[in-house]
Amino acid sequence: MKIKLNGRPIVPGFAQGIAVVSKKPISFLGGVDPDSGVITEKDHDLKGCCITGKVFCFPHGHGSTVGSYVLYSLAKKNVGPKAIVNVAADPVVVVGAVIADIPMVDQVDIGQIMTGDLVEVDGGKGIVNVVKRG
Amino acid sequence: MYLTPEEEKIYNGELGWAYQVSMRILTRLGELFGATRLIPIDSAHISGVSYKTIGDAPINFLEAIVKSGGKVKASSTINPSVFDPNHAKEMATSTEAIEKQTQIINLYSDMGINPTLTCTPYYLSKPADGSHLAWSESSAVIYANSILGAWTNREGGPSALAAALVGKAPDYGIHQPEKRQPNILVEVEPKLKREIDFGALGIHVGRMLEDKVPVFSGLGEYTETDLKQLGASLASSGMTSIFYPSMMEKMKGLEKITVEEKALKKAVDDLSTTSGSPDLVFLGCPHCSLNELKQAAGMLKGRNVKKDVRLWVCTSRCMRARAKKYIDVIESAGGKVLCDTCVVVTWIDKLGVDTLMTNSAKTAYYAPTLNRVKVVFQPMNRCIEAACED
Repeated sequence: MKIKLNGRPIVPGFAQGIAVVSKKPISFLGGVDPDSGVITEKDHDLKGCCITGKVFCFPHGHGSTVGSYVLYSLAKKNVGPKAIVNVAADPVVVVGAVIADIPMVDQVDIGQIMTGDLVEVDGGKGIVNVVKRG
Repeated sequence: MYLTPEEEKIYNGELGWAYQVSMRILTRLGELFGATRLIPIDSAHISGVSYKTIGDAPINFLEAIVKSGGKVKASSTINPSVFDPNHAKEMATSTEAIEKQTQIINLYSDMGINPTLTCTPYYLSKPADGSHLAWSESSAVIYANSILGAWTNREGGPSALAAALVGKAPDYGIHQPEKRQPNILVEVEPKLKREIDFGALGIHVGRMLEDKVPVFSGLGEYTETDLKQLGASLASSGMTSIFYPSMMEKMKGLEKITVEEKALKKAVDDLSTTSGSPDLVFLGCPHCSLNELKQAAGMLKGRNVKKDVRLWVCTSRCMRARAKKYIDVIESAGGKVLCDTCVVVTWIDKLGVDTLMTNSAKTAYYAPTLNRVKVVFQPMNRCIEAACED
């Protein structure tokens, strides 16, 4: 099986990895531990889950613009996500993905992706492929 | 988005990584919001300075920018830090915080940014009417757009920094005349008498506006301080980045909301979480103008601040130098005039402060959560009464 999801290219680059899918917006400042990549945001559906090396799918970011710098720090410490897939990109996450050079696509129906799925992200073309169900 | 050949070169990295990554930030954001080009800016104001607010997160990125030779192309200023170096002890700033904060300030300075450490850069150098800016710090953005007639979007720290480095900003939002047109009329029924009425009105109305552009009717006579308070609070509870204080002929037939007397009274009352007596009285959010320092000095002349109460008056270092005679009066009464910082971005909870009294609606709105203190919200004269011996 293979599901092809079309979205909008935000940051170019190709990545393949296991998806972690959230229904809730996230604040990278205060919501993700910058040393481990573990989600710490209160009341978040993925609290305790680690995004390191994963294709992180979530609706959009919220909160402080310092969150962009948190994404950069995660990437520099090699604990960041492999790729980001959003429903509607917001400035904090876009800037974070740009400076951290993390492939990113938005305008994707993330309801089609499940945590544990193996997915490919083509940030340059704006395509997300679900390769294998988890 | 259209890029000039010169911008294209920057985008492709010919001037190094610092400028390339900045150009990428600006073009991605521009595309996201429908800009077709970049426009030159007169100045940038950058938030993301206080170590309490931002922690270690930006340090790696700022270091990389400096290492890659990033210097700002536009005249640039930065927001307040966690401490006043002349009062670190009274502020209970830890050695670690002082070190980290100094490192952050030095990184910004290394990029050629003026370490102004104030949220009121417009008192240092007033942007010209009609000039395009890339400012972050929501209270300064709304002041620049509404009171000075400058043109700036409500940037975040990173996008303001990128714009500073490149000297340009994407042309969308408030940079376009049609996005500045008022589209909602706010009719204020009660007479506004004090600065806190303007502040509370802003918190109340900001919640209802979403991203609409309001024009007010019924504000009566107002001072510059009143409008500064109104703007700062509109931008705190909402996403507003521009307002018009009075009606103009062409503004007929807009959607209307009415603020009644009881709603304003409730808005004022709701900003106090206690009626107890304060251990810290704070004036200067946003940072005090020359006029506010003069007013405070006038009320403090010949008085003494109570032994068990702290009176903090926050302003920019530059304003402190300009207002020496007023500062002397405030300090001889036992008040502290702090520069480079303010209560909201510092650790007042570490000083054992339980109840904070202020005339700032923005502080009253944020302090219960950001500083974990109780708040009394009263005008400047009442604040000073509460701070002083009989």
